[in-house]
Amino acid sequence: MNELVVAILLPLIGVGLIWALADGSRVVARWIALAVSLVTLYWAAKCVLAKTLPSYNIPWFTSTGVDIRFNLGLDGLSLWMFALSALLSVTAILVSWEAIKERGPLFYSLLLILESGMLGVFSARDVLLFYVFFEFTLIPLFFLIGVWGSEDRRYAAVKFFLFTLAGSMLTFLGMLAIVLLHADKNPELGITFSIPEITAGLAKYPLSATQQFWIFLALFAGFAVKVPLFPLHTWLPLAHVQAPTAGSVLLAGILLKIGTYGFLRFNMAMLPVGTVTCMPWVLWLSAGGILYGAFVALAQSDVKRLIAYSSVSHLGYCMLGLFALNPLGMQGGVLQMINHGISTGGLFATFGMIYERYHTREIRELGGLARRIPLLSLFMLLFTFSSIGLPGMNGFAGEFLILLGMFQRGYAQAPAFYQWQWTAIAVLAVFGVVLGAWYMLWLYQRVFFGPLKEPADHGADDHGAHDHAAADAHAAHGHDAHGHDAHGHDASGHDDHGHGVAALPPSSVRDMNAREFWALAPLVVLVFWIGVFPQTFLAPMQADINAVSTTVESAYAAHEWPVKDSAVVAGSLPSPSVAQPQPAALDAVAAETLEFARVE
Amino acid sequence: MFNSIEKLMVLVPALPLAATFVTAILGKRWLKERSHWPVLICIGAAFLVSLRLLSLVATESNQPGVRAVEHTVTLGTWVLVEDAAKVDGAARDFVVDFTLRSDPLTAIMLTMVTFVATLVVVYASGYMHGDAGYWRFFTYVGLFVFSMTMLVSVSNFLLLYVFWEAVGVCSYLLIGFWFEKPEAAAAGKKAFLVNRIGDFGFAIGIFLIFLTYGTLNFHDTAGVPGVLGATRLASNAYLAGAIGTAIPLLLFVGACGKSAQFPLHVWLPDAMEGPTPVSALIHAATMVTAGVYMVTRCTPLYAVSEVALMTVSTVGGFTALLAGLIALTQNDLKRVMAYSTVSQLGYMFLGLGTGSLAGVTGGMFHLFTHAFFKALLFLGAGSVMHAMHHVIDMRRFSGLRHIMPWTHKTFWFGCLALAGVFPFAGFYSKDMILGAVHEKAHGHMNLYAVLYYSGLFTAFLTAFYTFRALFLTFFGPLRTPPEAHHPHESPRTMTVPLIILAVCAVSVGAFVELSHVYTLLWHTPSLTTGVVGATAAPLLQDHHGLEMHFDVAALSTVVAAAGIGLAAFMYLGKRTEAQTIAELTSTRRGLWGYQLSLNKFYFDEIYQVLFVLPLRGVAALSYLVDRYIIDALVNFVGWVPRAVGGLLRSLQTGMVQFYALAMVLGMLVLLGSLRLAAVFGN
Repeated sequence: MNELVVAILLPLIGVGLIWALADGSRVVARWIALAVSLVTLYWAAKCVLAKTLPSYNIPWFTSTGVDIRFNLGLDGLSLWMFALSALLSVTAILVSWEAIKERGPLFYSLLLILESGMLGVFSARDVLLFYVFFEFTLIPLFFLIGVWGSEDRRYAAVKFFLFTLAGSMLTFLGMLAIVLLHADKNPELGITFSIPEITAGLAKYPLSATQQFWIFLALFAGFAVKVPLFPLHTWLPLAHVQAPTAGSVLLAGILLKIGTYGFLRFNMAMLPVGTVTCMPWVLWLSAGGILYGAFVALAQSDVKRLIAYSSVSHLGYCMLGLFALNPLGMQGGVLQMINHGISTGGLFATFGMIYERYHTREIRELGGLARRIPLLSLFMLLFTFSSIGLPGMNGFAGEFLILLGMFQRGYAQAPAFYQWQWTAIAVLAVFGVVLGAWYMLWLYQRVFFGPLKEPADHGADDHGAHDHAAADAHAAHGHDAHGHDAHGHDASGHDDHGHGVAALPPSSVRDMNAREFWALAPLVVLVFWIGVFPQTFLAPMQADINAVSTTVESAYAAHEWPVKDSAVVAGSLPSPSVAQPQPAALDAVAAETLEFARVE
Repeated sequence: MFNSIEKLMVLVPALPLAATFVTAILGKRWLKERSHWPVLICIGAAFLVSLRLLSLVATESNQPGVRAVEHTVTLGTWVLVEDAAKVDGAARDFVVDFTLRSDPLTAIMLTMVTFVATLVVVYASGYMHGDAGYWRFFTYVGLFVFSMTMLVSVSNFLLLYVFWEAVGVCSYLLIGFWFEKPEAAAAGKKAFLVNRIGDFGFAIGIFLIFLTYGTLNFHDTAGVPGVLGATRLASNAYLAGAIGTAIPLLLFVGACGKSAQFPLHVWLPDAMEGPTPVSALIHAATMVTAGVYMVTRCTPLYAVSEVALMTVSTVGGFTALLAGLIALTQNDLKRVMAYSTVSQLGYMFLGLGTGSLAGVTGGMFHLFTHAFFKALLFLGAGSVMHAMHHVIDMRRFSGLRHIMPWTHKTFWFGCLALAGVFPFAGFYSKDMILGAVHEKAHGHMNLYAVLYYSGLFTAFLTAFYTFRALFLTFFGPLRTPPEAHHPHESPRTMTVPLIILAVCAVSVGAFVELSHVYTLLWHTPSLTTGVVGATAAPLLQDHHGLEMHFDVAALSTVVAAAGIGLAAFMYLGKRTEAQTIAELTSTRRGLWGYQLSLNKFYFDEIYQVLFVLPLRGVAALSYLVDRYIIDALVNFVGWVPRAVGGLLRSLQTGMVQFYALAMVLGMLVLLGSLRLAAVFGN
């Protein structure tokens, strides 16, 4: 049987197994879920690592010229998100292991349904199939938030649901319009729903600029909510804060990327003219989201809400990269989709573990945890670094390509009218990196550094006490840290006298156990792998992304840009070209090329 | 193996990296109090390898007819994006290879870094003894040495940026090493953020370089001339004009962050919260000189723009003066040294900004000598801290020469070198810088003349605050704070590095100056051709070095002597520091000046008011907007259909039904449109 079909069906078989075998036991249910998700991961990896990416295509719903197919396939745009969906599902199950105490079988069933939906979305090659999976991911997450969430779960779930649904209805209309208009222009295939066929067909017989514009807006409604693009983001912090850890991990890690993926797959590949028309607006919204998300994150007092707003900011980078519409930016944007999934998924997962121990999300109630839970703190630090784009880790590779791509778009490839604007957007986005470091390091400093501060009532629970034997040596980390010996360096620094570090008060809170370690370890490996060898991940997707970027760039080149006042043109940036070897000549070149309207 | 430059230059960073892994994995459970051994062995070996590398590079550069020495070795590809840009109509890939390079500049930096690091690791094995985070400390140090050796070895702007930030992370981790201290945690964050602001400029500079030159490589690769490669150097094909000025200025923003220059200097003094060996290694000798290294490396980019050069000189000269003024009144021994470091780094930039061969050589020469004597002074301060049980306030102890003879003696050498007294190391390098600035002024009253006199005045300040620290700490009656139960001289693991560094503080300056080995630097590709490099060729031809400026030397010696004399007058007599201060601040102007210096010209407060609080305000405001405007609008939009469809809603019992309805409606729309399409189609 086809690997793709196996990977997508396996979680559903798992749901059947849970119903058949679990008999209300969360222990049985979680073991089944874990086993199934691991097998699914194996099959997903097999799909992604295959020499030729697998595909599967059977008729599904065919009558009177309508051709809807059960058409699955992976390509450069989707393969890593497909693999990441399978990986983060394992993480999500592991982080729920002890956290979910009620209605376990239902919870794990919903997680597996969600996994199936995510795998389906990224492998669907049929418009209707895509939309079915797209909505299919909505229901399980709605219940995950609404049933197992925190205090405001109902409001959050409803808001999430309605917001996304409202947008995606318009998206559906837009998709239908594409299908029908394509069938109209290119009748020999009948009314085909096949994404590759429509993409190819529309390349040959493009829709009119007006049609593209309106359909772009229709698709935009759903995808921009999903991303979420500023200012359509307000459902996200609420959903993240209220969702159980597994929900946050999958929401941040995968589900938001369905939006960016949709832009890439539909808007850019099928509606290049509409994309180019709307690009100036989308760029501003992305840059606005980057800064706005960062500023709002800076004002948070709740750890999960802070990370949620950081997602608004980071998804702004993804969108900025994609809408830079050049190979650098688009490849960076797709890479950043994966990166954000890993680092923010990791942040939510790690903080979820801490939440299990302390039952608070308030920053001011926590402090100095690096002494109490050094290993968890180390993981949090790694994901924090990854999130702020530290070189050698995954975030940097994506961010650098995005920012370089956007800067190139503004500085070297923009029409004169937009040159300053878009260069400014790139510079603002680079400034967002500074803000990103600020709020993340501020969070880390508050929660993990400084004197130990723990909420008073956390000891009553039994959390952290389980699984101890399995934690092997990791448990021994309890007393790491930096007390000093009698010889002299009590942790007082040089100008602070005699302030010794008090012995760690006894507590039932334990450091990471083996299960938690294995939930996060694969993500850390990916953090460094992508950071050090991004080419491994870029190489398989380059050809397909470049195909899309070529499509939009030709539309970009043909687009009629607003013309700038000739008086203002003289003040625009000089050309960055270096033509002549002599320095004197270089001056001349720079002076000559003041007038600038180059489109590559 | 040891005759191949290519292999050696891979080995140098590989050794500390290996040590980092070993210590990180085995340190906690197995190595424990022995955690320094892997790091010590590997960094010591890396030093020997660097020395061998340096000698091979030197031999090669001494061969007749050899002008530029450059070796590169490519280990793999980091990123390759095809057809990413067009430069002069030709498509260029965005390709970043893992390429290491070796040339005299790199070899000198490697040798200096690994040498100081080796001594600091020996010292730290004594200083950090018994710390619960012992293994963690040496893991970080190993990681730092790896990153720093990579920083000076890579041959690509992007990788330079990578390791530029990597050393910043090590600095963050080590400043915050005692993280339960709120000050240490805050200082680490501050260092990181201020450096990020610098890197903001650096990154945009790198973007511009790529879009201008079509590559980020220093060296030439097949068909693509590198930014600092032989082809481009030979034809001096560097863009001038607005962008040609913007590129070096943006790079300099990065240098200002890393090398703590005004206005981004505020992080370095706070970084003293870290363990003292770290202050010596990272925040005095090596990491903070990365900016100087980068500007030296990019000399040809700076040479095209007089504005950029003047900016570098002015910022350097101003920072030197500013930090010198602040250092006058600080009571914390380590902070005096920290401001002194800021000031001396300013000197280096002052030299680099002259854009002349003498200035660049002087800047690098000062980097080299400063590494030894400033590491010595910091380690001496650490030795005092070790004895005083972490008290470092100079008002709380005095007369320590009686109990700490070795620390005291070696501290003298460091002070003399820093003050620039003949024949100590700092004398020669500072003289070369001031000489270059003097020459650049051409005897006219221009910017460089102002900088020359301000440099001389800074030399006076330097001599004064250095000896003030020396006298306050080691002279006067023996007093120790009560925390120091049993004040004692430090163990031999700490004094031996002090002695070795003291020997260096005496000798390296004279050795480098008199043997003219600094001419080795002129075989660095960036300094072989072009405006700066061209002046090296004739000097190399007749084996002359640069001329000593005896007039400048004499003047600066007088100035230094005056500073020392004033310090002796004020602090060696019967008067106490408190009395002196009382006298100084008796007049309003004196009080004002004293407060200004003591409070570091209120930079932290000014930045707080100008940047931090407004940005925090924007943050709070954004959150309010989010809650009460954007979300409220969303809720309003959500409320309208709900109000309209109130009747409909009463029929619903839950979301699932609504969803099912939505799906049915969707399917109806679908089928309806298919029907319509079929009708229209026919």
